Amino acid sequence: MSTATAHPPRTRLRPTPPDKTRKTIGMVLLAVAIVVCFWVVEARWSRLPEFPAIFTRYLGFMAEGVFSNPVADEQVGGYWTNAMALMIESLHMAWIGTIIGAIFSLPMGFLAARNVSPRFVVVIARAILNGIRAIPELIWAIMIMLPIFGLGPVSGALALGINSIGTLGKLTSEVIEGIDPGPVEAARASGARALQILRWGTLPQVMPEVIAFWLYRFEINIRAGAILGVVAAGGIGSLLSSVLTRRLWERAGIMLAVIILVTIAVDLISAKLRARIIAGPAGDSDEVHGEEAGVHPGAHI
Amino acid sequence: MSAGTTTSSSGVRRPTKPPIRWTIWAGLAAFVLITMWAVFEPLGGIGFSIAPLFTQQATAGFYIVRRFFTPDWAFLPRIYPAFLETLYIAIIASAIASAIALPVSLLASRVTNSGRVLYGLVRTWLSVIRSLPDIAWALLFVAAVGTGALGGIMALIVFNIGIIAKLTSETIDGVDVGPVEAAQAAGAGRIQTAFSAVVPQILPGYLSYALYVFELNIRASLVIGLVGGGGIGNVIRVQLSQFAYERLGAIIVGFFVIVVILDQVSIALRRRLV
Repeated sequence: MSTATAHPPRTRLRPTPPDKTRKTIGMVLLAVAIVVCFWVVEARWSRLPEFPAIFTRYLGFMAEGVFSNPVADEQVGGYWTNAMALMIESLHMAWIGTIIGAIFSLPMGFLAARNVSPRFVVVIARAILNGIRAIPELIWAIMIMLPIFGLGPVSGALALGINSIGTLGKLTSEVIEGIDPGPVEAARASGARALQILRWGTLPQVMPEVIAFWLYRFEINIRAGAILGVVAAGGIGSLLSSVLTRRLWERAGIMLAVIILVTIAVDLISAKLRARIIAGPAGDSDEVHGEEAGVHPGAHI
Repeated sequence: MSAGTTTSSSGVRRPTKPPIRWTIWAGLAAFVLITMWAVFEPLGGIGFSIAPLFTQQATAGFYIVRRFFTPDWAFLPRIYPAFLETLYIAIIASAIASAIALPVSLLASRVTNSGRVLYGLVRTWLSVIRSLPDIAWALLFVAAVGTGALGGIMALIVFNIGIIAKLTSETIDGVDVGPVEAAQAAGAGRIQTAFSAVVPQILPGYLSYALYVFELNIRASLVIGLVGGGGIGNVIRVQLSQFAYERLGAIIVGFFVIVVILDQVSIALRRRLV
């Protein structure tokens, strides 16, 4: 074959396209699997054709609720204030949960960082963090918090807090492992002890990113808190659930509007703060584009 | 101490510490105030306290917790159909959502969509979608189409579109513009450019987001079923209402073994893609 490659005939000038057989087989198998799922799942597909009509009707009801005058109609006004009060409770749960997560995740992050802690400590700390992270807030609430702390937002805040320790601890340890070793060496060279090295060599480097993660976690906790309401662990979720099960569309519309508006507002503020914290006071305006400053794409939820 | 520099014992002049900016004090003050507002009941907070841990209630609570940790393994085989339903729901939702999310993310990036109005509309729509948690979508669709897998599937589709479209449009923002310019120079239209120059570049990322969303959907099935959207959460709701904590313990352990296995498969696939 060597002569053929050395003097290729004119017709062989183009490289042959790579073999696609395996890719094609994979795609076909995937497609078959998806079709089989449609076939076997017991969903009432027959309801699908009428769905657009149903949905526009319900959307109309919800819009009616949102756009009726809350000052003139006392009942509607009550719906708004009620939804707002519960949303604030959700924010409080998320805030406290985030603080719990922040307090405990910072030391855990150091313990789980390979360039700070000895090997066996890292292994243990990571196992704990992974275990915490694998179990969602809902399960923490049902299994531990609700039996001990009773129904209500305190259980919810604690459940959010525990789960936050897991995710924040992991992110913190990753940031710590990515630091510039220079300042650490400088601190050691000038005679700092182990804790002083961490305080003056490591901590200042990781703090901006870690605080950005805390803010990001706060955004996530607001959303996760809604789930906890369904099992009566506080927040806006429980009323939203009962309103939607009874199909009170006007009221549901108002509640969803409150959730959307408050969540987007908090997201915007948090994104601005994060961008500012990461970029520092000097790089206020440019460089970091608002929304995603300092957050791994995979860290969503 | 002179202004500007201080002198250490060895006589070397050290730079002074920069003054703490007022924004830091303002931030700290805001943090303390918000925390007090959130914690204390008289201020409108949730009355946060871990005191219940040391009361009679906690003793009764620990009894229930202990029941969770003595799982009734015999119940496990009975959740098999519910788990299969979870799997079907997750696969269908991920597939449909990824199919819809690809064109949506092309519309949500400046690289592929130069029209201001449509771009703004799609971005706003996406941020509204993302502001609602999965549970809200599940409640909404179950209320609209009734309990069962259909509501769960539709809720997950909407929820997933928000995530995939966001991540994919960010990937599109970061593509190499070379092929895009080459396609435009060769006379390709907007859609032709998108599919010949952009999509091949983002395909690995896009597919790995689709798998990521599949992992999320398996986890979300707990929540979806809890409000009547079918799958394993449905079983949890029923057993919870009967206070069958031993069974719940078994279900939860079984579920997480499966989640971990599926995650590993998905992570292995994603690694091959990227």
